[in-house]
Amino acid sequence: MEQLIEQLKSQIIEALNFEDMTPADIDADAPLFGEGLGLDSIDALELIMLLDREYGIKLSDPKSGKAIFQSVRTMAEYIQSNRTK
Amino acid sequence: MRIAITGIGMVSAIGMNCSETLQALLNEQSGIGSMRVLKSVHTDLPVGEVPYTNTELKAMAGIDSTEAVPRSSLLGMLAAREALTMANRTCDAFISGTTVGGMDLTEQHWLDYAEGRAIENICLHEAGESTNVIARHLKSINQSPFTFIATPSTACSSALNAIILGANMLRTGQAEAALVGGAESLSLFHLNGFNTLMILDHEPCRPFDASRQGLNLGEGAGYLVLEPEERAIERDAHILGYISGYANTCDAYHQTASSENGEGAYLAMRGALQMAGLQPSDIDYVNAHGTATQNNDLSESSALMRLYGDCMPAVSSTKSFTGHTTSASGGLEAAICVLAMQHGFVPANLRWSQSAEGLVKPVGHTLFQPLKHVMCNAFGFGGNESVLVLSKEGSELIEGGLVEKVKCHDVEVANDIDVSAYVSGAEARRMTPQMRCVVAAARKAIQESGVGLPDAIVCATRWGCMLQSMRFLQDMISTKEQQLKPTPFIQSTHNTIASLISISTGNHGYNATYSQGEDSFACAMMDVRTQLSLGVINTALVLEFDERVESWDNVLRWIGEQTCNIAKATILER
Repeated sequence: MEQLIEQLKSQIIEALNFEDMTPADIDADAPLFGEGLGLDSIDALELIMLLDREYGIKLSDPKSGKAIFQSVRTMAEYIQSNRTK
Repeated sequence: MRIAITGIGMVSAIGMNCSETLQALLNEQSGIGSMRVLKSVHTDLPVGEVPYTNTELKAMAGIDSTEAVPRSSLLGMLAAREALTMANRTCDAFISGTTVGGMDLTEQHWLDYAEGRAIENICLHEAGESTNVIARHLKSINQSPFTFIATPSTACSSALNAIILGANMLRTGQAEAALVGGAESLSLFHLNGFNTLMILDHEPCRPFDASRQGLNLGEGAGYLVLEPEERAIERDAHILGYISGYANTCDAYHQTASSENGEGAYLAMRGALQMAGLQPSDIDYVNAHGTATQNNDLSESSALMRLYGDCMPAVSSTKSFTGHTTSASGGLEAAICVLAMQHGFVPANLRWSQSAEGLVKPVGHTLFQPLKHVMCNAFGFGGNESVLVLSKEGSELIEGGLVEKVKCHDVEVANDIDVSAYVSGAEARRMTPQMRCVVAAARKAIQESGVGLPDAIVCATRWGCMLQSMRFLQDMISTKEQQLKPTPFIQSTHNTIASLISISTGNHGYNATYSQGEDSFACAMMDVRTQLSLGVINTALVLEFDERVESWDNVLRWIGEQTCNIAKATILER
């Protein structure tokens, strides 16, 4: 799990172009939207694409991302139980 | 001055001219269905496609089938010819909105281009050039010797902004008659782009319905011929209606989403009514933007309810017939509004059955009633909100000569400027280096001039946000339209930069972008100077932007241009 979290942090930094950030800067339990990283709806779409590309998980309803993208940890948990690759 | 409409022309999935369109509207016959001309892997997405191949369209326009012509231009030619023929006159100004421009040819020929072929197709890519192609065609058949050509490119409000510029030019004596509107074909680029935003319905769209799941893309063109009423009467022309008010604002909320309370839309609708000297209760019909996305329909409903309260006029979205014709929609739908006024009917909002809280209840079926005043909405990415009021009898609009004395403050930014003083890290992450430069130039100019929030922000860009466009295009081709990233698409529209500056400062003022080759800056200046002269604005920020993309060097060599990065900002004060 911890390994997946670290990998995911790097993937998020790359997908969302956080040029000056390292995985250590992201708290796995901090909220991704609003406070924390302060992501918005465009980032949510990027994360949906990341799940598809890296883990073979397809979300057809953008609203379903809300619960999954609470934090890096909730995202990693969802990936672990739903990944197809 | 009263601005008369003496000609209209239209092409869309429901008709190749006014009479076919009228028949389809009255018969409640939708044009949305499976794609036949567009070759995409996403065959499950319905579209509002004009049911003719490019070869067939060329035959209709009398063009050699081997000639390279963007599909947007072909659709534009046919609609423009109808409008000019109906008006039975020539125009000196041609203002035509588009964003796709020649993208259809670029995506079809990209792989050949990479191997050094097909350059004659790629060099028609520029939005302004696709307008020039229409203009050259109209000149060749003696329909109009234009002396001024402009291409507003503000995403889905482009064509409505073309109408606004045309009207302002008439009012300041900068044109005698203007052919205004827009043309946009379907392209793989924006079909895939909208798909990454997850806002395309897999069924025919249902604007304002509780069950709506998004929009269907459409294509088409729509134009109006505008001239002063006095001139129209002198030459005994048949007047179809009048432009009585208009406004453009920025929602200043988000690059792709509309604010919950529809602030920008509300301000634009209110502004257009004020200009026309009308009360909300005077409006008989609103041709809504009504894309059928969750976000637009809620936000637009909220704005409509705020403005109209208890006197809500009949509302419908004709996108339920044509699909969302994006940059052409303002021209096509304004022309449909003229048809509706002429024939006394409110077009249906097809497939509407379920209302929901917060949504206006549109007109489910054609309603026959006389229409005196009609409102037409067109909203675009970047929160670019444009509203037009059309009337059976016109309102007197202020006119004025072009002011000569304008105070200028120029700032040019070199590529090695430290942008971090002007652009935050969080903002910068979605911008290319050159975009950061122009945003820095804009902010530096605003600071140094001390104007505060400029009343208008207008950007001139020949090629638009090329780096992001080419990223999306190349990914789309190499992945065969799979797993594309939304950010490059969102940042690819020509008006990204002007919007970004408005959004970051909460500026609801006028916002526009022009792409017209070497004349892009002159077009932006025409827009700003007419508005300064009419007293609509007192200050304006004019931006010049272009960015170098290596894969484009051959195109520039072909057309004999220098490859360059441009980031300039000018503040104008009356």
